[in-house]
Amino acid sequence: MGFLDALLQGFAVALTPTNLMLALFGCFAGTIIGALPGLGPVNGVAILIPLAFSLGLEPTSALIMLSCIYYGCMYGGRISSIMLNIPGDEPAIMTTLDGYPMAQAGKASEALGISAVASFVGATFATLGLTLFAPLLAKAAIHFGPADYFALYVLAFATIGGITSVNPFKTLLAAFLGLMVASVGLDPATGTPRYTFGSYHLYDGFDPIVAIVGLFAISEVLVYLERLNFSEARMVPLGRALPRIKDLLSGGWANLRGSVIGFVCGILPGAGASLGAFMSYIFEQRWSARDGNFGKGDPRGIAAPEAGNNAASGGALIPMLTLGVPGSGTTAVMLALLISLNIQPGPLLFDRQPDLVWGLIAALYIANIVLLVMNIPMIGLFTRMLAMPQWILMPFVVMVSFLGVYSISHSTFDLFVMVAFGVIGYILRLIGISLVPIILGLLLGADMENNLRRALSISNGDFTFLFQSPIALGLYAVTGTMLTIALVLSLRRDKDVQAQG
Amino acid sequence: MTDRIVGALILALSIWYGITAGSYEASFGDPLGPAAFPIMLSIPAAVLSLALILRPDAEPKWPSAWPMMRQAAAIAILLGYAGFLEVAGFPLATFLAVALMGRLLQTTWPKAVASGAIMSAVLFLTFDYVLDLPLPLLPEFMS
Repeated sequence: MGFLDALLQGFAVALTPTNLMLALFGCFAGTIIGALPGLGPVNGVAILIPLAFSLGLEPTSALIMLSCIYYGCMYGGRISSIMLNIPGDEPAIMTTLDGYPMAQAGKASEALGISAVASFVGATFATLGLTLFAPLLAKAAIHFGPADYFALYVLAFATIGGITSVNPFKTLLAAFLGLMVASVGLDPATGTPRYTFGSYHLYDGFDPIVAIVGLFAISEVLVYLERLNFSEARMVPLGRALPRIKDLLSGGWANLRGSVIGFVCGILPGAGASLGAFMSYIFEQRWSARDGNFGKGDPRGIAAPEAGNNAASGGALIPMLTLGVPGSGTTAVMLALLISLNIQPGPLLFDRQPDLVWGLIAALYIANIVLLVMNIPMIGLFTRMLAMPQWILMPFVVMVSFLGVYSISHSTFDLFVMVAFGVIGYILRLIGISLVPIILGLLLGADMENNLRRALSISNGDFTFLFQSPIALGLYAVTGTMLTIALVLSLRRDKDVQAQG
Repeated sequence: MTDRIVGALILALSIWYGITAGSYEASFGDPLGPAAFPIMLSIPAAVLSLALILRPDAEPKWPSAWPMMRQAAAIAILLGYAGFLEVAGFPLATFLAVALMGRLLQTTWPKAVASGAIMSAVLFLTFDYVLDLPLPLLPEFMS
């Protein structure tokens, strides 16, 4: 039982006063960020990453804080879905379908309770999965050679948008844009400056964190300014202060079904929590909606997608930690933090830094319990946060972004780069080009190129070497299948649109 | 139309990117050199942007005149803030930026000014004193 010892060791790390405080802070801040409409987990983690630098945290503590923010966001996203019918973040969209009708029927407190329990079941399930599967995957991944890693990156880029993305061409294009941005700077192998225009500011390339804060936080402010004239959403009354135990459990087996589906979606590179919530809801609807209550406030319609999105967010940590390939947008942002702290995630992480990995896993168990407590008895506190005026929130987000970026490099050049990324990010969002593949390209570009070069050095420039290992061939087969599915779905959708139009 | 314009821009970018990469040479090192990977990126990127030009999605909903003015004003504030942060000192620059953004988000002048004053003081104290991030306090000409 090697992993039990390791887990105990992890609890010893997670229960040090600093780490415990950071976990509590992360849960609290995360729930607020998740609950506020417009600030999702990606933005939340992106804005607070610089805080980890300015606090001068050790890598383990920084990762614990950000993971707790991440889990907190996933819990918090449902609050505005249920209370305002506005999803607090993208994965919480499915929760509006049954959550808001239930709240309108005077059962807001019950809906929040059911979804808190579902979040707990989903997130705990995923954390258990992380404990059991991550070490196994890390052991398997040690056999990966450079050619296999190259194939793995190809797979990640091909699937990052998931099979649900509207236009697979745009998602792929976004990945290439990210890879192109990543190649700016001195070429690590030969020292040749590439695309620097002779400016020494660009010799180190674009800092992924500056790009991330710009793309997500600054573009979010622009999106908000566009929608300013939308009518004010009205909050439904909370109802009972505390839901009854019987009501809390009325999600029943939907909690577990949603967890399993969400977890699987989370592990797939790039699919992420939105897909987890979507698939869980659709499955639950087919499985148990004989009486046609779905969409009218069915508890199972709240439990399934909430369990699904929380399980997916835990599952997404597995490929990030074991392979260095993030399973979702938020884990991509966390990968940026690890890389900035000179920690290379991957199979060796489990051997070389067991304290970091197991401390993180233990902190996630603690976070789940803390979040359950915060989200049932203390839920009133968070619903009041929803009334925070935007003229305080938005400037605050901007200022924390600026301070964070400034704290990394103390250069105003980076501030301008951040604003530029913000404007570009806004335009890309407008035309439906996803930002997550760009970040992924920016983060993995250098590694992808290095692995390609390493593979070709081994083979003396023979490109067929890339297709010789069974692992690489298997990965390319999966990539091909996923791309075909995405293409077929997109063509079918076009046909549907034409048929309707 | 927007898709076609963006597609054309990215196509031009990919072509420029690929051609520029061709000029990178290294006399030593690995068999691949600094040029090969960028060239490998530029080709599929060009093909994909062509796909965007030939098969555009429905026109996205651009913001109407007023929201776009607000966004432009916000970008101006952000750029101004980035430029003046070290010149004007953190407290003054932050006060102005937050107050102006508050106005942009349709609150009243007194509230905007109050939020600017409070936020710049709180952030300065938190980051400079508590988190030890040295921030410029006074305008450049006074320090």
